[in-house]
Amino acid sequence: MTAENGTAKGQAAPTVRARSLAWRRRRDSAARFWRQYRGHRAGVFGLAALLLFAVPALAAPLLVGSDVADVTDAPGGPLEDPSARFPFGTDRFGRNLLGLVIWGARVSLLVGLLAAVLSVAIGTLIGVTAGHFKGWYATVVMRITDWFLVMPTLVLAIALATVMPRSLLTIVVAIGVTTWPTTARLVRAQTLAVETRPYIERARALGGGHRHIMARHVLPNVMPLVLAQTTLIISSAILAEATLAFLGLGDPTVVSWGALLQDAREAGAVSSGHWWYLVPPGVAIAVVALAFTLCGRAVEQVLNPRLGVSR
Amino acid sequence: MDTNDQYGGHHRTPTRARGGGARLVVAAGAAALALGAGLATPLGPASQQAHAADGDGKVLTVAVAQSVDSLSPFLAVRLLSTSIHRLTYEYLTNYDAEDNSVVPGFATEWKSSPDKLTWTYTIRSDSTWSDGEQATAEDAAWTFNTMMTDPGAATANGSFVSNFETVTAPSPTRLVIKLKKPQATMTALDVPIVPRHVWEKVDDFTKFNNDKDFPVVGNGPFVLTDYKPDSYVRLKANKDFWRGAPKFDELVFRYYKDQDAAVSALRKGEVSFVAGSPSLTPAQAASLKGEKNIRVNDAPGRRFYALATNPGARAKNGETMGDGHPSLLDQRVRNALFKAVDRKAIIDKVFQGHAVEGAGYVPPRFAQYFWKPSPGQELTYDPEEAGRMLDQAGLRKNADGRRVGKDGKPITYRVLCHATDPNDKAIGQYLQEWWDELGIGVTLNCLDNVTDPWLAGEYDLAFDGWSVNPDPDFVLSIHTCAALPATPEETGATDNFICDRTYDELYARQLAEYDPDKRAAIVRQMESRLYDLGYMNVMAYPNAVEAYRTDQIESITTMPAKAGNIYGQDGYWSWWSAVPADSGDASGGSSSTGVVVGIVAGVVVLAGVGAFLAVRRRATADERE
Repeated sequence: MTAENGTAKGQAAPTVRARSLAWRRRRDSAARFWRQYRGHRAGVFGLAALLLFAVPALAAPLLVGSDVADVTDAPGGPLEDPSARFPFGTDRFGRNLLGLVIWGARVSLLVGLLAAVLSVAIGTLIGVTAGHFKGWYATVVMRITDWFLVMPTLVLAIALATVMPRSLLTIVVAIGVTTWPTTARLVRAQTLAVETRPYIERARALGGGHRHIMARHVLPNVMPLVLAQTTLIISSAILAEATLAFLGLGDPTVVSWGALLQDAREAGAVSSGHWWYLVPPGVAIAVVALAFTLCGRAVEQVLNPRLGVSR
Repeated sequence: MDTNDQYGGHHRTPTRARGGGARLVVAAGAAALALGAGLATPLGPASQQAHAADGDGKVLTVAVAQSVDSLSPFLAVRLLSTSIHRLTYEYLTNYDAEDNSVVPGFATEWKSSPDKLTWTYTIRSDSTWSDGEQATAEDAAWTFNTMMTDPGAATANGSFVSNFETVTAPSPTRLVIKLKKPQATMTALDVPIVPRHVWEKVDDFTKFNNDKDFPVVGNGPFVLTDYKPDSYVRLKANKDFWRGAPKFDELVFRYYKDQDAAVSALRKGEVSFVAGSPSLTPAQAASLKGEKNIRVNDAPGRRFYALATNPGARAKNGETMGDGHPSLLDQRVRNALFKAVDRKAIIDKVFQGHAVEGAGYVPPRFAQYFWKPSPGQELTYDPEEAGRMLDQAGLRKNADGRRVGKDGKPITYRVLCHATDPNDKAIGQYLQEWWDELGIGVTLNCLDNVTDPWLAGEYDLAFDGWSVNPDPDFVLSIHTCAALPATPEETGATDNFICDRTYDELYARQLAEYDPDKRAAIVRQMESRLYDLGYMNVMAYPNAVEAYRTDQIESITTMPAKAGNIYGQDGYWSWWSAVPADSGDASGGSSSTGVVVGIVAGVVVLAGVGAFLAVRRRATADERE
């Protein structure tokens, strides 16, 4: 009885301890990550800037409400100067530009995130499989990657956005499928490095299949790289979204920063001196893109110490 | 349909840009950008060259937003090109700048035979080609005959001669045209007459663009002396012009792709005129109004701006095409939709007063043909009544408050819009909200090239617009059954696949009616019919908003004289009559604080983007490592 009890306890304890150990390890590494991240001043600045935009964007339905984009009930006259009522002035429909910039952040950030995730997902899939399988598959896939790499991204995205119906999804896809090659190359290089390590060989000897090796051993090792890459790509995706919307390839009824710039240009705001129509969305795009870049580089440095301090 | 003609593109070409013929296109000076004449100011390189070449000539520079398609009168259809032809060649008749009435041009008099089938024109004897040869009736006869016999030469203006039986020149001052059927538009033949002795050497009219041998031989108030594609067109005054020489020595049309750039050039005095094609935006007009030495000309336009409804597109052989929503075949539905469109809001908010509320098909500036619905007939803005009409038509709301069609699915209409036209997109957003109240969804389908879905009939509603000529025959003809494509694969002259028997009968009657008043009455009946049908719902008549420097142009003729436009007239009056201002030295320093602020703002944005790019560049460089 006692013996049995003892055995039962003995078995339960290590399991509990293993789980809590794993959690503690994760907590510790998160804390370590944050300690190191904090050391990068640019990264902290980027994060703060991001929060500054992300929080109002998330709270936009409460802050400004979805009817901020309604043209029929626009509160002001067209192109009013900035005032206490409209801190950024009004757009050509008489809508509150401050509200539109906050509302537009939702679309810009959403498209940026989704497009980056899509792009990195494609890139990771291609990179890991190409690095793992080698042979003719890798050759073919990497030649395709090279082809996408030399294609001017914006031109390709414009072509895609032109032939597909105008919607947010189109923009996400257009950006996603044109920006993955860099990720694919990076991930493949890392995969090749990881696959030469002895424990992969050991896993294979123990009967691990392709899927097991790629998913359980390679992927966790390329994840830091993927994470950093995602953060970096978000900023270019946001810029690409703004560019496509500015070129009039977005859905004209969706409010985003690029679409606001396009509206401003079409309203002749540049030559008529209505700077407040152009500056807020323009600055927002620049700051958010910069913030993501700063964060991405900080993450990259923390996760990959070999990059060194010189950067 | 289109913005095409707004930007001067136009119609009936094989690629089928829409827009009426060239004449149509000469639309409401839609695109006039700026014409800037920099008198003594250093203009762009083009004008500087001009100065170098000609010494002290007075140069009038016009900023245009359109490039030249062809300088051959047989091919050109864009507004800019046809305007240039107005300036360099004579037409049989011209339109009075005062009131659009027909006045002598190359012909001094004309009369028709009692059977209405033979027209005799007396050709003036005081017009000479710029190479010294006399211009005669023989040149006119040759021009028409070439268009009748060579399909290549009929590309741009073939519709004018399709009803001609024979054209002869019995003497140098007499031109006789025999018709197959009576045609009321014989004093509105907008065909440039070219010199036979130059043009008979041309082999292939489809390839000859008339842009190699300068100066180009002509007999209009100006002579074409130089042209660089997508850059500029230069014209020199014809000192021997029979009506009198123009006051400016040189006229330059400079191409500005971006209208903001053209407006800036006007402020700096680099150009003397910014055309209203496309119109200056309300913001631009408002900011220019406060400028010293700049005058904004806000003229009632010759365009109508409409919402076209797909009437179930079909070809002449009866085959249907496209996929227009079946519920739109019900006139009550079409009228209900239009009753939920607040035209006043469109004028106030989108055009900000630079347009007139829509009524009949022909804009009010052509008073003779203008028609207005009676109070009982008018589809006034009344969303509740619109909802009731939809209920009556059987489009009832479902549990979610959306109206469902006969197939039981919620209705969402696809509205075809021009991605290049800001007004389309803006009004589209209003439509979306207005019709949402009715329980009807709207998908805005904004495309750079609307021609393909349009010709295929793949739309439910579409933004449409045409420029109307002093003679409305063309814009009326595009809604007749005869204009439908022969088969679904072919392209017809039709605008919106409308085919209505009553309308067609009226059209035939007005074409055969030589009495102007009776004809105008029939045209107004046609407009009434079109209004009731609900296929072409005219929302507005946009103004032509253009601007010029008063320190460079002292005076210039508008057409019509009272509240008329300057760029894109049906005649050469504006440029021919423009008087240079004495103080030629337009200073470039009058930029307003607005511009400065705008530029500063631009720099800030650019700097931000630049800084970001720099960082980003470094980042990618790192990645490559």
